[in-house]
Amino acid sequence: MSALAIPNRPALSRQLARLPGWIVLVVWTAAVLLPLYILVVSCFKTTAEIYDNRLGLPARFAFDNFVNAWTRADLGHNFLNSLIVTGGAVTLTIVVSAMAAYPLSRYRLGWNAIMLGLFLSGIMLPIRLASVELFTLMRNLGLLDSLTGLILVYSAIRIPFAVFIFANFMRVLPSELDEAARMDGAGEVRILFQIILPMVKPAVSIVAIFTAIAVWNDFFFPLIFIFDDRYKTVPLAISVFVGQFRTDWGLVFASLAISMAPILIMYCLLARQIREGVGAQGGMK
Amino acid sequence: MANLSRTSSLKRTQQRMAVLFILPALAVYALFVLYPLAMSLWGSFFLWKGLRMGEFAGLSNFARLFVFPSDARLYGALWHNASWFFGIMLFQNGIGLLFAWLLFLRDRGAAFFQSVFFFPAVLSPVIVGALWRLLLAPGGVVEWALNGLGLHQGSLTVLGNSHTALWVLIAVDAWNWMGLPVLIYTAGLRQISGQIFEAARLDGAGNARMLFSVALPLLMPALGTLTTLSFINTFNQFDIVYVMQGVQGNPSYATDTLVTYFYRLAFGAEGAVGITDIGLALALGTMLFLILSIGTLLMLRFFDRRTVQL
Repeated sequence: MSALAIPNRPALSRQLARLPGWIVLVVWTAAVLLPLYILVVSCFKTTAEIYDNRLGLPARFAFDNFVNAWTRADLGHNFLNSLIVTGGAVTLTIVVSAMAAYPLSRYRLGWNAIMLGLFLSGIMLPIRLASVELFTLMRNLGLLDSLTGLILVYSAIRIPFAVFIFANFMRVLPSELDEAARMDGAGEVRILFQIILPMVKPAVSIVAIFTAIAVWNDFFFPLIFIFDDRYKTVPLAISVFVGQFRTDWGLVFASLAISMAPILIMYCLLARQIREGVGAQGGMK
Repeated sequence: MANLSRTSSLKRTQQRMAVLFILPALAVYALFVLYPLAMSLWGSFFLWKGLRMGEFAGLSNFARLFVFPSDARLYGALWHNASWFFGIMLFQNGIGLLFAWLLFLRDRGAAFFQSVFFFPAVLSPVIVGALWRLLLAPGGVVEWALNGLGLHQGSLTVLGNSHTALWVLIAVDAWNWMGLPVLIYTAGLRQISGQIFEAARLDGAGNARMLFSVALPLLMPALGTLTTLSFINTFNQFDIVYVMQGVQGNPSYATDTLVTYFYRLAFGAEGAVGITDIGLALALGTMLFLILSIGTLLMLRFFDRRTVQL
């Protein structure tokens, strides 16, 4: 960093030279935050107020739109479905991927590389193109209109990435770790869940964060597998709302705010891990 | 001797445990990803009646893709996906490099700006699309602002205009994902040794020279990752189009993409509603699969060769 400080120039002119750069950064910050600000203040306005008072704060902070979105448009139900699917898929992905990554990264099996390659090939597979055959499969298994079906499909899609991350983290742990436990008579299941997994907590959080974001946000699979309103997830419900309640802008803004709330909260708590996780993935190749 | 037999018994236990440990993940992955994908590729060479596979048809499904009435849809969608990719490379990955460089030159505020820039990327494209659809609607806040600033007169119809709609969607997608290049480039820049920049500075290089002649060649791995990711994402583009313009890619297919076309063929929204053409859909899927795999491999090789080793 210090190598980049411009030497031999007075502080004021150095700051002045940096002004255009700061302006560029602030302009994009506004481009990101202004739409989100409008989204938030519009949630508290009636449709008439949204037209009259575009940018200002609402006349009063009324929660009618939120209540209407949650009950009349039944977003509460969709919210619960999304929570179940996200929670289920994150849990299943972490458990089965950690189990698979443990022998693949720490045993000498002779076929580690081939099996790992088979999993890794799935990271980039365009699974949407298989949706016709997947639809037939789900129908035959009785998994259409089912949250379990969504959990299984999402886990299947996220397993390659999770195995990759877990295997990378587990490979570098010292081998004395499991050998000592084995000497003490611990079984392989205990070694994995009580010794290895607690050592790779960063991997668990990377997998949990990125699986949760991907599953919570997905729209394509509910669109083709879910027909019954009782099982619709948040993104699917939102895509319907936007057309259905076109004239009731406050309601649509409120439902958008509700649907991004969990991700927003998670992002505020975990922004640093997410930034570092994404940056690291870029360097990984 | 005793030691040897213990080792081999451990080896046998490990083989057995390994199979048991890998099986759940492998079963779920094979059943819901590998099997349907393989069947889709295989099925594209057969005739279909509804969801039932008929007799072997060779390449006839593929031939039908390129003739009336599919040819106009196919070429249109291909062109839109290609434009989308170049638009994203320019607006997202190009401007993202500028943002990352500006953040790299500043000691303060980088974490804050990175967090703000990346925030839209954690939102669902459905939410982003719905939000921008409301903002850009006739009577919406963007129209109001442009009218107020005197930049535009009357009703704003950029999403209903077939000349502008696609570019508006590309801009929304770039807004959505701008944080990704910023994070990946900054991580790449931080890996470059400070001595390299110092040497360039002593040789009298300005900031712009340093970015293009010193940093950019060393950022090839990051640029390769971004190009490949953007390629895969743009050729899978579906959500934003569906939410903002409908599954037909309105107006008059001006924002149609390969995946929205695939979806209409497979799930019955092309032509008469409810009529599907699975053979055509699978052929399109296989073609898209080939485009994605070959494109990705070529890009990885291209950037691998241009990676500068220090």
